[in-house]
Amino acid sequence: MPVTVEFFGIPRQRAGVSQTTATGTRLGEVLADLATRFPTLAQTCIDKERLRAGFIANLDGQRFISDPGTPLDSSDCLLILSLDAGG
Amino acid sequence: MKGAATLHGNAEVIDEPSLTSCSNERLPNMNPTPSQHGYHGCYLRVDLATGQAEHVGIEPDVLRRYLGGSGLGTFLLLRENGAATGPFAADAPLAFVFSPLVGSPLTTSAKFAVVSKGALTGRINDSLASSHFAIAGKMSGCDAIVLRSKARQPPLLVIDDGRVRLEPAGDLWGQTTDRAERRLRDRLGTAYQFALIGPAGEKRVRYATITHAGRHAGRGGSGAVLGAKNIKAVAVRGRQNCTWAHPDELVALARNISKKSMGAATAKYRELGTASNLLAFNRLHALPTRNFQQASFAGAAALAPERLSTTRAKTRQSCAACTIGCQHMYALGGSDRDNPGGVRLEYENLFALGPLCGVDDPDMVLRASQRCDQLGLDTISTGGTIAFAMECVDRGLLDEPWLRFGVGPALLRAIELIGARADLGDRLAEGSRRLAEQIGHDSIRFAPQVKGLEIPGYEPRTLQTMALGFAVGTRGADHNRSGAYEADFSGAVDRLQAGPEAAWHAIQTEDRAALIDSLILCKFLRGVFEDLYAESAEMLRLATGWDVTADELRTTAGRIVTAKKQFNILAGWQPGEDTLPERFLQDTLPEESRARLSASRLAELIASYNRQRGWTPEGWLNAETLQALKLEEE
Repeated sequence: MPVTVEFFGIPRQRAGVSQTTATGTRLGEVLADLATRFPTLAQTCIDKERLRAGFIANLDGQRFISDPGTPLDSSDCLLILSLDAGG
Repeated sequence: MKGAATLHGNAEVIDEPSLTSCSNERLPNMNPTPSQHGYHGCYLRVDLATGQAEHVGIEPDVLRRYLGGSGLGTFLLLRENGAATGPFAADAPLAFVFSPLVGSPLTTSAKFAVVSKGALTGRINDSLASSHFAIAGKMSGCDAIVLRSKARQPPLLVIDDGRVRLEPAGDLWGQTTDRAERRLRDRLGTAYQFALIGPAGEKRVRYATITHAGRHAGRGGSGAVLGAKNIKAVAVRGRQNCTWAHPDELVALARNISKKSMGAATAKYRELGTASNLLAFNRLHALPTRNFQQASFAGAAALAPERLSTTRAKTRQSCAACTIGCQHMYALGGSDRDNPGGVRLEYENLFALGPLCGVDDPDMVLRASQRCDQLGLDTISTGGTIAFAMECVDRGLLDEPWLRFGVGPALLRAIELIGARADLGDRLAEGSRRLAEQIGHDSIRFAPQVKGLEIPGYEPRTLQTMALGFAVGTRGADHNRSGAYEADFSGAVDRLQAGPEAAWHAIQTEDRAALIDSLILCKFLRGVFEDLYAESAEMLRLATGWDVTADELRTTAGRIVTAKKQFNILAGWQPGEDTLPERFLQDTLPEESRARLSASRLAELIASYNRQRGWTPEGWLNAETLQALKLEEE
């Protein structure tokens, strides 16, 4: 099932695109799919089915999620962001 | 003043000081506690009216309880009776404070704090800056420099290895920060480091900064406090190194942390800088826009560093002793002889001078940032005050039709007027709270401030743990003393409808900030640590020789936050100050109808925060908590 994914900050730098679609019915599957398609992104941001420390996922601009088992559906938009703010 | 052991009060008394004769040749080499590794064990108190200076001892127990930076500065302000005077009063103390780690090989440790009563808030204000001034200041032979009284003419304060003198500085008065610093370097040489004010500080703009090498102790108006003392600049140099308890192990630890600091945890700061928050905050509806009337900005993409990096030249710089290198400098359009290195762009100046004022032209935002740097203005308060005035114009409350949202030249004109305190600029120079009080018509409900300090770039309604942090912050609305946005961005809380857990998170992040700001280290390093308290304890053990533990540092952090509250209570704090403007408690954002924070809900969170701090529900301190934290009753 395709899920829209938006990248921000370092994930966008590593992916080289601001947006894509990825396949999966839960967060872990979508991250694994992204890791396969964007090796440079995976190297910095993804460890198997989880985001590495310093990065976080958000669902539809509302809820931050980290559990790889979190269910996703095709209407969802997954945001991958750098965690730290400040400035 | 109590508890101060004046060790060296034998300065010459000069009844009528001339600006070139206010020196004290007997001060150097008077380190009273040389056995204390990491410290000199004293602070230098300078009376600017007489030119007298003295080293005042700091008890080892005080150093351990307050560490340095913000913590030690708060203690010194209390000791010097700083709560009782107005920020511009002749007797008001202003402290430059170093820390036990300054001068060590630990990355990002070259930082200093400036602590005084805030010009905007009338409450405690501590602002931090980086680089060589911290190292040179500590090498001058003290752990802090406390300025008292007011110079009679605008002089330059020179501290040469502990010797103090005042020199005429009439030629520097009126100069922008960059030009004044170049002149000072030409005049005194490269061995000196300088902390100085721009024209805004001279004119007591209430959000004027103190700057060093392009970095600013920016928030709360410490530059106005220095300007009120008639001091344009403080020059320091010295040769008095502190010893370290375990130097070899300290070097090894420093190497390890430096290596980690170049990893993924800091990649964002190195590669894009803090400005990369812009698009993420925009997407999350956390980007304050048009004086907080909206939480997203249609022009955000044009201002984002991802775009700017592709359209203009960019360079990167580091503070002294820093391995991260977060400063991204962008070229202005056209020739720019004054700033060949470009303009430093951080998220906060980008947000405040861009979306908050509705401006989406990158050149206008960069020029506005440049002028704030040159005039010595805090960009957050500058943008916040101008944005508030723009909304007042929109609402027909202020008859300045040229000052409109989205008009870049109007933004630049307003900044020039503020720096000169000319026309409308004289009113804007007072900050949004005082401007609202002048304008009336209930405009205070949308003045973007807490305790008088303008709110930084975090929308309180969509970041509600941060909203609590803003409300209870001792220096006003602030993202550096309260990092509560970390909880909002973690999934640990519902950021759109804060629950009772928000209070605990606000305390945890505030305590961590108090520790980091007192050590002092850069907060951009925080992602490198697995256990900040344990690793900080190890740093302190190696630097000072103390057998300090993580638990002790947790208590220390709570003590420092409570000491700031103690200062504020002495300065007249009342519980009603701990709140947000009505806009944030009554108006719904167009982008997020679910994001609501009522006054009663905020009051519950504040009471919970106060109780968990060991204070009364209203926020007063009690004897048991003071005793537990080893704080003296004032």
